[in-house]
Amino acid sequence: MRLTPAGALVLVAFSVPVAIELRTLFGIFGVALPLASVVVFEAVLLAAIAVAYVASSDSDADAAAKH
Amino acid sequence: MATFVDRYPEEASVVKACLTVAFVSLGIGAFFGLVQALHRTGVVRLFSSVDYYTVLTAHGVLLALVFTIFFLLGLFTWAITRSLERPLPNIRLTWAWVGLAQAGTVATAAAILAGFVPDIGVSADVLFTFYAPMKAHPLFYAGLAMFIVGTWLAGADWFLAYREWRKDNPDERIPLQTFMVLTTMLMWYLATIGVAVEVVVFLLPWSFGIVETVNPLLTRTLFWFFGHPVVYFWLMPAYLMWYTILPKLAGGRLFSDPLARVVFVLFLLLSTPVGIHHQYLDPGIAEGFKFIAMTNTMFLLLPSLLTAFTVVASMEHGARQRGGEGRLRWLGALPWRDPAFTGMALAGLMFAAGGFSGMINAGMNINYLIHNTLWVPGHFHLTVGTAVALTMMAGSYWLVPQLTGRKLYSRPIGLAQVVLWFVGMVFMSNAMHRAGLAGVPRRTAEPQYNSFDFTTTMGSIEELQLQIAVGGTLLFVSVVLFSFNMLASAIEDPVETPVDDRLPAPLSGADGSPRVLDNLRLWTAIAVVLVVLAYTLPLASIVQDAGLFGNVPGVPMLIGNFVESLAGVIA
Repeated sequence: MRLTPAGALVLVAFSVPVAIELRTLFGIFGVALPLASVVVFEAVLLAAIAVAYVASSDSDADAAAKH
Repeated sequence: MATFVDRYPEEASVVKACLTVAFVSLGIGAFFGLVQALHRTGVVRLFSSVDYYTVLTAHGVLLALVFTIFFLLGLFTWAITRSLERPLPNIRLTWAWVGLAQAGTVATAAAILAGFVPDIGVSADVLFTFYAPMKAHPLFYAGLAMFIVGTWLAGADWFLAYREWRKDNPDERIPLQTFMVLTTMLMWYLATIGVAVEVVVFLLPWSFGIVETVNPLLTRTLFWFFGHPVVYFWLMPAYLMWYTILPKLAGGRLFSDPLARVVFVLFLLLSTPVGIHHQYLDPGIAEGFKFIAMTNTMFLLLPSLLTAFTVVASMEHGARQRGGEGRLRWLGALPWRDPAFTGMALAGLMFAAGGFSGMINAGMNINYLIHNTLWVPGHFHLTVGTAVALTMMAGSYWLVPQLTGRKLYSRPIGLAQVVLWFVGMVFMSNAMHRAGLAGVPRRTAEPQYNSFDFTTTMGSIEELQLQIAVGGTLLFVSVVLFSFNMLASAIEDPVETPVDDRLPAPLSGADGSPRVLDNLRLWTAIAVVLVVLAYTLPLASIVQDAGLFGNVPGVPMLIGNFVESLAGVIA
């Protein structure tokens, strides 16, 4: 399924609470993650969304070329 | 194809007048929110801490009471008119309640804002929870009374419209949006008895000096009699939009009309006999009464869970109509480009988080951990601050074009605005909840104490403060974008069809459901009985303990004078 720019933006928004609450989740199990880990994790999430967006655009372009 | 403004031009003007007040209040209230967040966290201090309660009161009253309720007045006028398919019966009455509520708002706001100029001698730094012993200028209470009476007249106007429709349609089921408006207003009439008695019988005579003392616990209890159901008065417009507009925006239809009616009936029954759960730490109310309030409160989870099921089912139906497949992949087929849809969906998601933190507030024992801490504002910024406010802003992107006959200026700005609100609120409310768990108090400009450091379970207080400041800033930018988009939309060229305003019929309509659901007299009678059961003994006990007017002379909220007096005493 194609990831639209709006869909990518909403995924970026969703990634923020996931990154913030990941630290809380680890805290429940006694693992104290530093603030930097949240920043790195969010950066990884953003990179993953960017890759998914580009890959989805490329696959759409390929499908259009075949037709 | 004509839209609402073409079919009902007078009513469209009424709705626009209400929404204008709502949006102006949103802008001013959000500005006070920003300066407050920056002040509390120590990032930037634009005003003296002495003025903190003026800022906090303005923020609370303008956003939690004026923005939300004026939006409700506009939305319900639109909903009644379009769902009954007829103009309001007496437009003079309609403009009368609009004028009364607006005049009340101006009086209340003037009393609050005058607090910035001590020379005037008018002040109302009593917060939006305006119970004794804090005392405001009579102008504040008089303005509030006018505002509340304005909402009562609005409800009467809508009931008159319904009565006329019923004469012509004796056997029809009440249209769903009208049903939602009427049940909400019945709940409101019941709930505002508490605040009416508090203001008219106690606070107003007390602030005029007609009576010298009041019973603070009695005024607190009367306030919370109203103070919890007002939460549902904010929330019901959001529910109306989630049930009747969101499924259409998602590309589908409402899953179940009867289930929606059950939810609104449950809110009518259960919203009011729960207010004592705000008073778990109040001495003077027996633990048994608090336990009953907690039990009633937990029942309120049922309509919220029913709503989550119905709304998500409706969204899934819409996504599948748009070609969505799979267990979760259908989420990708939803119209995320549409700011009205995305804003409401994100608001609903945040409401789920707010519901969970609300369960902590509602539990008698665990409430003691977070009572009067920053957790509580963290909670209600998820509920009224996002579930309600974000739904109202998002809904405006679909509603306002129907009122003006002009297209929305920019959907991308709208989308950025709702996403920014979501992200800003994630930052701010998460930090507020965590700070509350660390014991950081609410309602103070200076949450620091000498020789005492708050201990967080993870991270540091400085991180949390930064998170609050960043979140508050993002939220303010979001309001600026919203205001700009609304203003720019107002000067677009008129078009014939600015938005598709048709609302499809539900998948499961009202016809197959029991007609007793529409028996408003029955549900109102049961709601009254539940309130009598929940409140008679606690109120009798409070009056028996300290008398009807107590013996508290009151604390006029002129902080500057208070600080000077204190300094004099110490010297």
